Amino acid sequence: MAIFFCRQLDAGQDLNRRSLEKELGSRIRFFPLPCSGRIEALHLLKALESGADKVYLVTCPVGACRYREGNVRAKKRLAYAQGLIEEIGLERERLELVVPSVPPRTTIDRIARDLLAEETKLAPSPLRVKERGEERRTGKGYRQEGVRR
Amino acid sequence: MITAERKPLAEIKESIAPYKKLLVVGCGSCVAECASGGEKETALLASQLRMDARKEGRDLEIKEITIDRQCVYEFIDQLADAIDRYDAVLSLGCGAGVQAVAEVFGRTHVIPALNTTFIGQTKEAGLWIENCRACGDCKLDYFADVCPVTRCAKGLFNGPCGGSKEGKCEVDPDTPCAWQLIVTRLEERGKLDAMEKVYPPARWSRKGGKGPRKITREDQRA
Amino acid sequence: MKAESRLKKVLSAGQFAVTAECGPPKGADPEAVRKKGSLLKGVVDSVNVTDNQTGVVRLCSLAACALLREEGLDPVLQMVVRDRNRIALQSDVLGASALGIRNILCLSGDHQSFGNQPDAKGVFDLDSIQLVQAVRQMRDEGRIVGGEELSSAPDIFIGAVANPFADPFSYRVLRLGKKVRAGAEFIQTQCIYNLPKFKDWMGQVRDRGIDGKVFILGGVTPLKSARMAEYMGQNVAGMDIPEEIIKRMKSVAPKEQRAEGLKICVETIQALREIPGIRGVHIMAIEWEEAVSRLVQEAGLLPRPEI
Repeated sequence: MAIFFCRQLDAGQDLNRRSLEKELGSRIRFFPLPCSGRIEALHLLKALESGADKVYLVTCPVGACRYREGNVRAKKRLAYAQGLIEEIGLERERLELVVPSVPPRTTIDRIARDLLAEETKLAPSPLRVKERGEERRTGKGYRQEGVRR
Repeated sequence: MITAERKPLAEIKESIAPYKKLLVVGCGSCVAECASGGEKETALLASQLRMDARKEGRDLEIKEITIDRQCVYEFIDQLADAIDRYDAVLSLGCGAGVQAVAEVFGRTHVIPALNTTFIGQTKEAGLWIENCRACGDCKLDYFADVCPVTRCAKGLFNGPCGGSKEGKCEVDPDTPCAWQLIVTRLEERGKLDAMEKVYPPARWSRKGGKGPRKITREDQRA
Repeated sequence: MKAESRLKKVLSAGQFAVTAECGPPKGADPEAVRKKGSLLKGVVDSVNVTDNQTGVVRLCSLAACALLREEGLDPVLQMVVRDRNRIALQSDVLGASALGIRNILCLSGDHQSFGNQPDAKGVFDLDSIQLVQAVRQMRDEGRIVGGEELSSAPDIFIGAVANPFADPFSYRVLRLGKKVRAGAEFIQTQCIYNLPKFKDWMGQVRDRGIDGKVFILGGVTPLKSARMAEYMGQNVAGMDIPEEIIKRMKSVAPKEQRAEGLKICVETIQALREIPGIRGVHIMAIEWEEAVSRLVQEAGLLPRPEI
């Protein structure tokens, strides 16, 4: 799972994500953004290309964007990216917009744990490379390493 | 700028199907401005194609490069080093760029990824509209800077026709009637009497029809 | 016997002219044209034949006019600029004149996207006013566009259309003046339902003295149903159908609506006869040519004058 999120949601995000990062290792990757509006469709696609089963984009609540329309822009760009992955037969649901409701204040740790706890109906990403019957995520996604059978 | 739109992915996939090594080339000029073929869009398309190939278990190696312009040899030459290592080029240039690249690298298959559409302006972020048809005989001054060739669906020079409804063209209710714009502007400028004269039949030979047009300037040639 | 324009003679004699429209078939059968012609003979002074109206492929206007001429009618060849370039248009003018067709109505034509050939290339080499000018130049100077001489000049009574109900309203009369200066000798207007607005327009026409320079025929179309009224009002470009008319059509039972539509049409014709500057009526009974004789009779316009 990859989580892109707005730094404004949690001032202590750098520390708060460490426990999950330790627990899950490479199975979870956090990408803090100065504003969710700085997301580009390419970031989302690259995360999937690297083998993420699911990519979340967490924005600030409606009306609460520090830069006014950042979260509105984020929503549009995510929708655009969903269109692009649908074109190649990936489920739109692999990209998900998360908009927390208005405070109480929360931490990125809590947000991520809630997301992890959600049931997923998605199969593992078909972009993972199978090696000798095991599942292995590819690293950078720039070159496809030869599939060994 | 010249505007273009990305072709349907299925069409692109079919064109690149025979190839295992693809050089994807973007263009930093017009198509970057209209968000169809610039560096960003090139990276997105490359990412889609890689994921698609991997999903289907196909071998596909892709490299992306974006050059400033695909219609000028000086920039196309920058591809010379890379090109021999690839089976084909997928170009996100406009039609002019695709052909220029194909001319420089004669034996390489250059595949267009875009449909070139029109000459236009950025009206607002994410909205581009056509405003010139390259007729070769610009009459904008006569028509209050509203081009009737482009913006009137019937290309009338003595318009309007009887079909406009509430200032919109009969063909598309979202398109303003160009003649309504012309007349209104002339009225505002106090120049409506310019419309009294019958504008004579246009010189369409300047728009082409004798094959591709060209411009030569001896002072600019080697 | 040398062919003459009956329309021109009736109008020049100061008589109230009556013209009607004939839509050619979507097929090659000349009988369809002759049949419609027979419904109109003696009932009207001249018959307009539409030119692939709304971009739908039909038997061409020139051929249909030739067929009507053979039946002894005075056809008005409608020429749109949508489908032919200046070579073809001028050539057709010569052909029409050679066939004894003496009236040509010049118009832009509905955009091709509305018809059954939406991918066709719209030509629009000339616009309707440039066509009027070209026909006039051919007739009066024996020259085509560009100035080259013809071996013999065509003999044509030149017409154009006017739409008093289209935008921008303020410019419409100016444009009419332009058409007249270009050479239009008679005008047929878009069909009229909004009489007050039409009278307003005619007032402006008279103020500019245009009524003395061109013969204006008011257009009318009988409504077949309330639904037709609503549809036309909303979907046909440049059409103005006031609420009262639609209400009136709705107020009668569906079976009676045709009769009501005819009634409204007769009233409109009678009103037109009272408007100074109106020199005739042009009846566009689309696919209802049988209604024309009834309309002309009930409006008191039969028999047509001996000219």
